[in-house]
Amino acid sequence: MIARYRLALASLALALASSVQAEPALPPPYAGAYQPQGVDEQGLWREMDEEERRYSQSDIMIRDQALNAYVRKVLCDTVGHDRCGATRVYVVRAPVFNAGMYPNGMMEVFSGLLLRVRSEAELGAVLGHEFGHFEARHSLKGLMARRSGGDAMAWAFVLANLAPTYDVVRTYRDLQLTIIGNYFRFSRDQEREADALGIAYLNTSTLRPQAAAQVWERLIGEYQADALSKGLKKPRLDRVAFYATHPPQVERATTLALLARPDGATRDDGAERYRAALAPWLPQLLADQIKLNDFGASEYIIQSLAETGWTAPLWHARGELYRMRGAPRDLVNAAEFYGQAIALDPVHAEAHRGLGLSLLKTGQRAPGQQALRRYLTLKPDAPDARMIGLMIPQEMSEP
Amino acid sequence: MIPRTFSAIAALLVVALLPSAATAHKLREQGVVVTIADSALTVAPPRDWNRLDGNIGKHVETWTLDGGQLNDLTFFAGIEPGKPLVRERSKKREPLPRFSASTLLVELPELFEATYRSAKELADFRVTEVQPTRFLERDGVLFRYEYVDPDELTRKGEAHAAIISGRLYMISFDAPRLHYFDRNIEDYRRIAQSARLP
Repeated sequence: MIARYRLALASLALALASSVQAEPALPPPYAGAYQPQGVDEQGLWREMDEEERRYSQSDIMIRDQALNAYVRKVLCDTVGHDRCGATRVYVVRAPVFNAGMYPNGMMEVFSGLLLRVRSEAELGAVLGHEFGHFEARHSLKGLMARRSGGDAMAWAFVLANLAPTYDVVRTYRDLQLTIIGNYFRFSRDQEREADALGIAYLNTSTLRPQAAAQVWERLIGEYQADALSKGLKKPRLDRVAFYATHPPQVERATTLALLARPDGATRDDGAERYRAALAPWLPQLLADQIKLNDFGASEYIIQSLAETGWTAPLWHARGELYRMRGAPRDLVNAAEFYGQAIALDPVHAEAHRGLGLSLLKTGQRAPGQQALRRYLTLKPDAPDARMIGLMIPQEMSEP
Repeated sequence: MIPRTFSAIAALLVVALLPSAATAHKLREQGVVVTIADSALTVAPPRDWNRLDGNIGKHVETWTLDGGQLNDLTFFAGIEPGKPLVRERSKKREPLPRFSASTLLVELPELFEATYRSAKELADFRVTEVQPTRFLERDGVLFRYEYVDPDELTRKGEAHAAIISGRLYMISFDAPRLHYFDRNIEDYRRIAQSARLP
């Protein structure tokens, strides 16, 4: 079985190497539910099972059943229902582009990833890539790295205990994370292999495989926008969790485009279904992103979401972003964006609040108070209702 | 990756071997009036607290009872317009939101939230209540919040803030929702009541 499997991988690697006439990749035949073998792998799985038990109860999980079921469905649609039976999917509330697969079949999907993909095919491309790591059992190959990491950590622990300060204890914790991260970091070749497997799953699914390249193109655009707004020459991709050892973007996009089945280009990418499934969560995910104070990246994400049409939550998010940066010109823009949100959704309470505050801060007292009054009418039990109430003269009434 | 690990170990080694006296925490004794971060703000703690050493900001000071992870009392003593609440790890790459001359009282919880989210890379942070209050004998804002820290513990918090002569004064307290918040919230409130600014 394993020999056949290697052969399949070798042919994938060959497909990668011959860039002129690449065959569209297809996944190796499914080998059935895998059980860990040998003391290393069994130990690793046991440890991961324990971690999963703890993690699944953690407060950082999003427990919304509909969302969890949907993400799982996209994974199953991508890799096939037989394969996806070996995994458990957890949606984690964390505002970064990331997803991870643990050796025992536990998959974590960060909410920041959901905000950044636009269709089932794009989400499937990332999840398929992660699943590829699992199917090729890449993390077992990292055991050696982990063992040497263990030595370094033992020494660090001794040193941390010598020092009385809080910061050192913190540093030790960071180091612990770094080394654990190191263990789960795959090599570039493994990433290429997972990329090839990911696109192979998509090729055999009903989703459009060409979408895979778009994910990376958009992500690189976001990092560039972020670097630009911070006045940096170029983005530091090596510092981004998902990127540290991943192949360079250009190579990646080209390879993925090459390996995609040409006749798949006309398939549905499920963008419509994805938008509908994510709609209840979108305002929350946008807020999580905007409040990170990453102006360039947030603006890029909003703009790219708006490519399929501006909606009230998008205008509102943009208003919040500009009001939070807070320069006088930003406040003028913010007021306009809130106005657009209200035009599309006149009962969007938060948009009235933002509009009111922006107008007040640009010296437009009466219309500002009018908007705040409307906010309180729409949301009388808002957490800040009493505070906002103080900003409105008592005799003023709803028009 | 490997060089980063090594440099982290090297940094740890250097810090570990520094003489401990230079980095000692200070006891803040019951009833003794103390100034905060060399400002005009004073408090008279109704019980003993520990002032944590650590440079988290020019006008910022953190106190604790059992350690910063279990109860974190932080004073922001006169943040100037244009400055972030705490020191930035990297001004260029990871800027924090800034307090500004046009920031409204009702926006202070948002500023606090955005600072926590950016500095700790949080996703789940909720301001649960915002109320007008008197703080340092001026009109101020009291707010309560709840967040999930990257250590996966849910913490609850409460803060009092006011803007006085264009500067931001704020005291915040947060602790794990489980046990620690309820145990010490009254200790925090007494500290906030004892705060004076001439």
